[in-house]
Amino acid sequence: MKISRRELLVSMAAAPIVLRAQRRPARPTLSAICTTYFKYSHAQHIVDRFLEGYGWNGTWHHPPMDLVSIYIDQIGDNDVSKSRLQQFPTMKLYPTIAEALTLGGSKLAVDGVILIGEHGRYPRNEKGQTKYPRYEFFKQIVKVFEDSGRSVPVFNDKHLSWNWDWSKEMYDTSRRMGFPLMAGSSLPVTWRTPSLEMPLGSRVREAMCICYGGVDSYDFHGLETLQCMVERRRGGETGVKWVQAYRGENFWKAHQEGVWPKDLFEASLCRSHTLKPVRAGFNHVMPSVDEMRTLVKDPVAYRYEHQDGLMCTMILLHGLIEDFNFAARLDGQQSIFSTQMYLPMPPGRTTLANFFSPLVNNFEQMYLTGKETYPAERTLLTTGLTAAGVESLFKQQARYETPHLAITYQPPKASTFWRT
Amino acid sequence: MKRIAVVATVYRYLSHAQHIGDRFLVGYPRDGAWHKPDMKVVSLYVDQKPDSDQSAARAKEFDFQVYPTIAETLRCGGSKLAVDAVLVIGEHGDYKRNDKGQVLYPRYEFVKQCVEVFEKDGVAVPLYNDKHLSYSFEHAKWMVDASKRLKFPMLAGSSLPVTWRLPDIELPLNSEIESALMVGYGGPDVMDFHGFEAMQCMLERRKGGESGVTAVQMIEGDAVWKAGEEGRYSKELLTAALSRSDTPQGQPVVDGRTQDLVARRELPKLVKTPAAYFIEYRDGLKATLLMLNGAVKDFTFAARVKGAVQSTQFFLSPEPNVTYSACLVRKIEELFDTGKAPYPVERTLLVSGMLESCLTSRLEGQKRLETPHLSVQYRAPQQSQHART
Repeated sequence: MKISRRELLVSMAAAPIVLRAQRRPARPTLSAICTTYFKYSHAQHIVDRFLEGYGWNGTWHHPPMDLVSIYIDQIGDNDVSKSRLQQFPTMKLYPTIAEALTLGGSKLAVDGVILIGEHGRYPRNEKGQTKYPRYEFFKQIVKVFEDSGRSVPVFNDKHLSWNWDWSKEMYDTSRRMGFPLMAGSSLPVTWRTPSLEMPLGSRVREAMCICYGGVDSYDFHGLETLQCMVERRRGGETGVKWVQAYRGENFWKAHQEGVWPKDLFEASLCRSHTLKPVRAGFNHVMPSVDEMRTLVKDPVAYRYEHQDGLMCTMILLHGLIEDFNFAARLDGQQSIFSTQMYLPMPPGRTTLANFFSPLVNNFEQMYLTGKETYPAERTLLTTGLTAAGVESLFKQQARYETPHLAITYQPPKASTFWRT
Repeated sequence: MKRIAVVATVYRYLSHAQHIGDRFLVGYPRDGAWHKPDMKVVSLYVDQKPDSDQSAARAKEFDFQVYPTIAETLRCGGSKLAVDAVLVIGEHGDYKRNDKGQVLYPRYEFVKQCVEVFEKDGVAVPLYNDKHLSYSFEHAKWMVDASKRLKFPMLAGSSLPVTWRLPDIELPLNSEIESALMVGYGGPDVMDFHGFEAMQCMLERRKGGESGVTAVQMIEGDAVWKAGEEGRYSKELLTAALSRSDTPQGQPVVDGRTQDLVARRELPKLVKTPAAYFIEYRDGLKATLLMLNGAVKDFTFAARVKGAVQSTQFFLSPEPNVTYSACLVRKIEELFDTGKAPYPVERTLLVSGMLESCLTSRLEGQKRLETPHLSVQYRAPQQSQHART
């Protein structure tokens, strides 16, 4: 459809009225609710991008919105928020979440909330999950919404909660109250080498992510890496039936027995930029399984089946690689589909964790338009998968049935990863 | 199976000879699979054997011979050329610098000896020359002329043109490029070469193709900032290039924050010895390479193309894998396999000459130098050559 210049002028003139009708201000104000704010903490990466701006589309981008209030749960010796508060007096520190959201008044006084419950000292439970207070923070945010008779878009960094029931409640609350919710990891939106997107409607038979890090931490990023790709398969997301974890000797035994496909395993490792050389004097060699065993002390896999039969495997090979690599077998295609979700990770390789830029840019759009650029259901599912993987590990690596993860959704048509 | 001779200055861990040469021995990742070239390294020459030398160990493990001369290496100890391709890697090793600051790597001398064998034996085979052809344009020209005369395909240069780009952009062939800026880091005659190669692989795609360079100038110190104030290079392009950097120094290192180095005027504080290399092409295009040691540790590019700014980072993936060298080996393998250079050696000939003339300009009081000898003309390859699959 072609739009005439006259029609365009008419629609442009009408736009501000529409925006006012939706109560969406031209320049939204935001509140950041954080666990802690130290160098290279998630709060620092995210909040700084609103204060200082960031490189985007080949220019220096200042988000067209103002971060006016912040709550920080733990201010430690390594805190760097003080210098920000001095330099950017438009951002004020409040002692409670409610005050941050009301700017010290009685009613909600911001147009969007950023919830960053990552990092900080919080207890671990017997299953090894860090009890980050994302749900507790969220409850307090929602109470302000309820008391004010108004709600605004929320971004929740990483998974929703370590506790599945609480995560489900967070999601359900956003749907019941009708506020946009975005959540998750940078992995789905960062650079890819190569810069490939899973074609919508692909017939994905089997998928894998090989990455690094530990349980209840980077496993979530691996699951998000997988999910942002496989959700684009024919029919969309159907949910997950069961999850089984493999760890230590069980992992190597399962690998040997072909529980997951060896060709996807090799393809994933061939996308890595950080394959640790197993032989002295060589900078880049493909290790044998026996050689991998010398480097990887605690291998972990979560293998799971989607409701439509798709099989996925998330593998942590800490000690062998330090990046996130994806591979999939598509029906009707001879070669394996594979890529790396590239994280420019400081301090070893870079000074900036620029993978936060596409994440911030995506949820910036939510504050401007009131629309999620990708579905919260993705992170609801990966939150549940993370907890299910932990549960299977806790239950001596028994298969864990997940009828609660029958989460269905459709992926966004447009690609949302970093490619410009 | 093609037989390969390797002619190197030195073969030690993380030298170019090691990470390029090894990929022919143990394979490398390519399109998401571990690829083993259908080629065999049969002979090796190393000019220097430091304590860390690996040549003997590699020869033993991979069943080839280390020969004392280049001629013997190419003939595998016999009387006639006995290889199907030659890999010349004259990077790293202990060599002197001249008064221009150029490291006197013996690439010309190595290639000359290869050419002598080709001529004597009446057969010439594909040859890859790592990095610039020679510190001397005259020698570089001789090398390229020899390849034309004896009709052997030749490829040269850096990994930068073929590595991943963030974002994965290519300038369309025949782009109307109005101005261009490259930002890099590292020392003269080493890393500036990579900056030039990255810049050139983009600019050669402009309308009319490559026309050669008519004049160059290299300046250092505060004059670089003054030139920016005077508009000799574009602040907009500088902002665009730096917006692609993942390694800004200064405050990001101190407390992790993002920072617009240009708008906040941080560059003069961070860069003690800035250098600007100004290139005037024969068709009127002007381009600048800024080496900003202390401000960044990566290579970024920006150009104004028909009114719009295009920018990207040439991704130097981390050590020790340096997967960018796998991208390069793929191209070398293509040269050896097909007998056709995937991109013209004239690119590296021109860049070698640009670099030499810039370093001459620096030595001669940072004055502008006319470069009639750099009328190197060529066409860019139709297909993109960088890593994108």
